[in-house]
Amino acid sequence: MIFLHPLLLAGLALAAIPALLHLLERQHPPEAEFPALRYLSEAERQSARRVRLRHLLLLLLRTALLVLVVLAAARPILPVRARGAAGGAEHEPTALAVVLDNSPSSGVMVDGRPLVERLRAAARGSIAATGADDHLWLVMADGVVRRGTRETLLAILDSTRVLPRRLDLGDAVARAVHVVDADPLPAHEVHVVSDLQRSAFGSGRVVQTPHVRVLILAPAAKPPANRGIGVVQVANGVATVPIVGTAGTPPGAVTVRVGSQVVARGLGAPGTAVTATLPSLGDGWWVGEAALDPDELRDDDRRLFAWHDAPAARVRLSGDPGPFVTAAIAVLHEGKRANDAGPAPDVSFGDRMEGGRSPSHTILIPPGDRAMLGETNRALLLRGSAWRFAGPATPGLIEGRSELSLLDSIPVRQRYRLERIDARTGSVSSDSMVLATVNGEPWLVRDSSTIILGSRLDSAWTTLPTASVFVPFVDALINHVARGEAAIAFAEGSVRVEFRTRGSDTLGVTVYGPDPRESDLEPATPGQVEETLGAPPLDERHFLADRFTGSRRTDVSGWLLGLALAVAIVEFGVATVLR
Amino acid sequence: MPVSRLDLLDPSEVARLGGIEIIAQEVVEGFLSGLHRSPFRGFSVEFTEHRSYQSGDELRYLDWKILARADRLFIKQFQEETNLRAMILLDVSRSMAWSGSPLRITKRAYADRLVAALALILLRQRDATGLITFDEAVRQMVPARVKSGQWTRIVRGLLDTPDGRGTAADVALQQVTSLISRRGLVVLVSDLLFDRDLALTALRYLRHRGHHIIVLHIMDPAEVELAGPPEVRFRDSESSASVVVRPRELAGAYAQTVAREVAAWRTACRRHGIVYHTVRTDFPFGLALRLLA
Repeated sequence: MIFLHPLLLAGLALAAIPALLHLLERQHPPEAEFPALRYLSEAERQSARRVRLRHLLLLLLRTALLVLVVLAAARPILPVRARGAAGGAEHEPTALAVVLDNSPSSGVMVDGRPLVERLRAAARGSIAATGADDHLWLVMADGVVRRGTRETLLAILDSTRVLPRRLDLGDAVARAVHVVDADPLPAHEVHVVSDLQRSAFGSGRVVQTPHVRVLILAPAAKPPANRGIGVVQVANGVATVPIVGTAGTPPGAVTVRVGSQVVARGLGAPGTAVTATLPSLGDGWWVGEAALDPDELRDDDRRLFAWHDAPAARVRLSGDPGPFVTAAIAVLHEGKRANDAGPAPDVSFGDRMEGGRSPSHTILIPPGDRAMLGETNRALLLRGSAWRFAGPATPGLIEGRSELSLLDSIPVRQRYRLERIDARTGSVSSDSMVLATVNGEPWLVRDSSTIILGSRLDSAWTTLPTASVFVPFVDALINHVARGEAAIAFAEGSVRVEFRTRGSDTLGVTVYGPDPRESDLEPATPGQVEETLGAPPLDERHFLADRFTGSRRTDVSGWLLGLALAVAIVEFGVATVLR
Repeated sequence: MPVSRLDLLDPSEVARLGGIEIIAQEVVEGFLSGLHRSPFRGFSVEFTEHRSYQSGDELRYLDWKILARADRLFIKQFQEETNLRAMILLDVSRSMAWSGSPLRITKRAYADRLVAALALILLRQRDATGLITFDEAVRQMVPARVKSGQWTRIVRGLLDTPDGRGTAADVALQQVTSLISRRGLVVLVSDLLFDRDLALTALRYLRHRGHHIIVLHIMDPAEVELAGPPEVRFRDSESSASVVVRPRELAGAYAQTVAREVAAWRTACRRHGIVYHTVRTDFPFGLALRLLA
């Protein structure tokens, strides 16, 4: 219970007035002569019990009357546990966060309309039921925790559509709980409106706090079966189209197109894949499309894919690259991932910088003889490189960038520290980038057309040559990294392809599409929901009834005044009628 | 109602007009002028004459024979003898010297005037009338006589008796029984604030000896209806006992107690052939005297 005017509670001291008056009157009553005292004594003896009871009753009634009036003046606000009312502004000031799951799966059509409309209406109902004293947040699939007034958030909700972003419900609800728990208002609630799809429950767990009530709206109906296109991979001219979705969904027709040309058709069910041989279109970047027949969730029925069609690099070994590099190039040659160098090699790979008619790109490893290090640095300087070999550095583990993550955690026993020449002069080359580090220091760097490694690719220097990823690493070096290409990236977003360019060169591509996990519409079990979010899902009736029930409040001053009036009437009756 | 009828005016107003003698005479004059017959009848009466019937005359004195013969209304008049001996016993205890309001006379003052008027009426009828005043003991005694100057002696007896102390009526009444030898009329004027059983014992004794007894219970209105400030300490002037009460909340129970006490007196007196009347000090004297007629 809280009081709107708590200072008025000091008036409760007035409750002592009846008792004090009673005591004060008793002390000094006026004295008078009265000869018929024997009648008086007899009357008093006969009515003593009734008079004492009446005095006690009057004392209690008058004290209660004062207490009730003072309490009413202090405007007490009581929490009400009654169920059945749909919120309303008559609740204790509440910090409320609404988590609206408008991820791609909410775009599924249920009963002829998008599920997101039902979820949005539920979220709208929660926010509309708040009052001016409440603090509000809105969390949606974009992960942004928005704070705003009721009107602001309602406007945001009204303009909300399905976002092409997956929502990890555990993380989102945990953030919402954290936000409202930190608010100083006396009541805290988080309302979750989501399709509760099983795949939305990631690793996040909600840490339950006794101060925050989490109310979760359960799905109204079982979602329909769904198929979707997963992330399409292209390798060696073949596109692999995975079919994702709800397990047990029957197969659907898949069409693979490049431009307007249908290159493949097939049937696919969730868990299977359809492959398509792509036509040879010549050097360059190419975009294709895989599509399914439409179903209830349209956003995952189409996905783009991209690939780079280019001839294998012509590689020439220079100096002493070591036996492992030589062997790896040979393997790639056999697999047509490397070609003969000929008179115009694309890539020079070794421990020596070639002069004269140099190839387009150089992959330089440190010389085995330390005495040759100075000559190599001079050659780098002449080539205009921003990097040079410095002294020996400490061993460690490799940490590669995203496209070279296959190198992660591979030990390096010996290495040279790679030092930026322009770091001394203060100039910074925009072409330089660190592709892998050891102990936080550059180990593999790219500077314009030169790739420099801090270790020789020899088992005495690193275990990389003996690892299974060595040949793919060398393949990536000669066919992608040396050319300045980045790997094809995949990102969440509306279906599209974005190219990264530098001048007229295309450096890489990002393929956008929905997270494949969004296609599995199977809802989580109530047990999974409770385990992850800390509360069981509620059907719509209970969800509406339980909103703000922990904080619903009512001003009882009117009741107290009514009770005071009743007490006053009783007091008047006792004081007059029962005399 | 004529203004000269002092017997019908408020006693406190009447008391301001003069001393006991004057007031009693005026009251009696007024009282008797309102009567057309003797207020008291003796033990033996003789017929003297007829007179014409006047409105208000009692039908029992109508001469039915004349009415039957001549169809005229005549009233028979009787000559009373003077063999009635009346003794008035006046309680002069401390409790009688009290008034519940400064606008009213005390019970003692009221009783003095009532006794004087009553004695005057009795003496005018040539009844031998005497007075005994008492509180815890007999204070004054004027033997019953009918000779001239008797009323003056009775009034003097009233004036010479100061306010007494406590009331032990049983002792005083036992003394009184020994002082009243010949049977006759005994009028007890008191507020009866003493032990009822003991007092009744003495009165029963007098009754047993053939006395006709009338008890006039003098009460101040404030003794009938309890009133006062919200809370007050009431003190008994005779016993010095006191009690703190809230008059408003005790008024009901007090009124019931007084009513019970009066009823107990009335019942006990009736059982023993004693006439009992309550007389409030705000009653006009005429009304009080009429109770005795």
